[in-house]
Amino acid sequence: MKPLRIALTKGRLEKKTIELFEKLGYNCDEVHNKGRKLIMNIGDGEFEVVLAKAADVITYVEHGVCDLGVVGKDTILENGSSFYELLDLGFGKCRFALAGRKNVDFYHGYGSKTVATKYPNVTRKFFESKNMDVRVIKIEGSVELAPLVGLSDGIVDIVETGSTLKANNLEVKDYVTDISARLIANTASLKLRKHEIEDLVSKMEAVTINDNNSNS
Amino acid sequence: MNYNLRITPEGTKDYLFKECTAVNYVCKKIEKIFINHQFHQVITPGLEFFDLFSAESSGISQESMFKTSDNSSRIVVVRPDSTLPIARLVTTRLQNEVFPVRLYYNQPVYRNNPGLTGRSNEIIQLGVELIGSTGKRADIEVITTAVESMSAVSDNFRLEIGHSQIFNALSDELEADENQKELIKTYIENKNYSALNDCLDKLHQNEITAAIRSLPSLFGGDEVFEKAENIIKSKKALQAIDYLKSLYQMLQSLNLGDKLSLDLGLVQRNEYYSGIVFSGYILGYGDAVLSGGRYDKIFDKTDIPMGAAGFAININHIAEKARYKSRKNLPEVLVFAKSDDSVMKAVEYTAKLVKEGVKAQFSDLSDEKEAREFAEKLGIKEFVII
Repeated sequence: MKPLRIALTKGRLEKKTIELFEKLGYNCDEVHNKGRKLIMNIGDGEFEVVLAKAADVITYVEHGVCDLGVVGKDTILENGSSFYELLDLGFGKCRFALAGRKNVDFYHGYGSKTVATKYPNVTRKFFESKNMDVRVIKIEGSVELAPLVGLSDGIVDIVETGSTLKANNLEVKDYVTDISARLIANTASLKLRKHEIEDLVSKMEAVTINDNNSNS
Repeated sequence: MNYNLRITPEGTKDYLFKECTAVNYVCKKIEKIFINHQFHQVITPGLEFFDLFSAESSGISQESMFKTSDNSSRIVVVRPDSTLPIARLVTTRLQNEVFPVRLYYNQPVYRNNPGLTGRSNEIIQLGVELIGSTGKRADIEVITTAVESMSAVSDNFRLEIGHSQIFNALSDELEADENQKELIKTYIENKNYSALNDCLDKLHQNEITAAIRSLPSLFGGDEVFEKAENIIKSKKALQAIDYLKSLYQMLQSLNLGDKLSLDLGLVQRNEYYSGIVFSGYILGYGDAVLSGGRYDKIFDKTDIPMGAAGFAININHIAEKARYKSRKNLPEVLVFAKSDDSVMKAVEYTAKLVKEGVKAQFSDLSDEKEAREFAEKLGIKEFVII
């Protein structure tokens, strides 16, 4: 049988997912000693893991070259279109928030607002749902700078602890949505390899529910 | 240098030799099935009025259609789908026909997909429409024609059937506003369990929310029916499930094994489906290659309300993956005219050979050395001088 191929988002989500696989009793030595390898085996050849940047995880899964993927909800909201979202894995938790300068009411006045962000689609959708026309400017890094130098009235970005905002005299004005890591599946794969995928999902589900209960 | 002169627009491509053979092979195999089942070909225009594909009736978003305008500044689109044009054609031009009419088409559709995703914007589609009949027999015929078509071009396919009224009935009985219902539909379509649960958690909990919660997981073999009957209490939804069950049992005689499966949570984006819905998949391609269902709704508002069902197959994706015998079609004989005086004789001799079934080709080159080199390069065995 061909192994199920899983695309993982490089970095923290990758580590957490591998921990999850180890909890389920699969051997992940090859991932720990990956060297320069790009495709690694997990368990006794039941799974194959590839590592990719967040948005590429979605691309690989959508095209069906990977059956499953682990990716943040932020990336799904910004880039997602046609795949199945099977499970909230419960780790990689943070929030999308609208932030602006302290003590300034973002929504005040008739003038239309300018918002800087790394996530233009999320931003546009958020303001559409509020029936607001805003000018969205895409920024590639350190979005917090934009309102400080006067490029924008606010930013939409991922907020974890809020310490970067605080250090720059910014504050959260509104929460857009919660974010965590998700297990996604290719549409055709779920149909063609239903039993293997469902088996993995129910095992993962059992562990993540347990973890969440013990945390709270 | 204008590089646009050298490349094709994104999402389109040239088809050369083997690719053409593959596309033709797949098309011919499927077309033969359609013709044998007495479906008759129609060709609709490449351009249609934008109005025909309004979002409510087509489910095709405005952004994904290629638009231009006609000489009166009316908006026209490059055909994004063949079913609505065929419905238009039937209601206007086939009113006096003996129904049911059986139509098929073999023509590309165009979608303006987001850039850099590797999706095709030009898709060759083959499909059938069985118009003017409702009920089990018509549904069975459309599904079995789909099965036959898939079997003809792929050893390893899945055809998955569902019923649009299962979700619609539950959605009607759900106490939620239209926006929430729309979201819930999307979540079921994407099997987005977590978002679906979050959304349902906000509503008043009853047996309807419990039923909707379970919908996306209700796919697989006939064990699905038992699970569904335990959870779903809505009368209308159960009616649809019962109907699906009886179809599924009838289809068992085809001995398709796990090639035929069920998905009670199958909701097609097109609003026009009113009964059974189905999708087909092949191994190695990440998205559905076939989709169809019953769409009586399209004719509801026309002069002749009636039942209709059909499906479309995306040929490009199957042709890329399907097994096919592709041999380069090489001539066996090259016929060369040694002077202008013998050109007509050589042409006639070539025609004679071709008539006899020999793969002969007339050489357009006037220099014998060049012609011989050409034959050698292509590996043509016989060189005839006239």
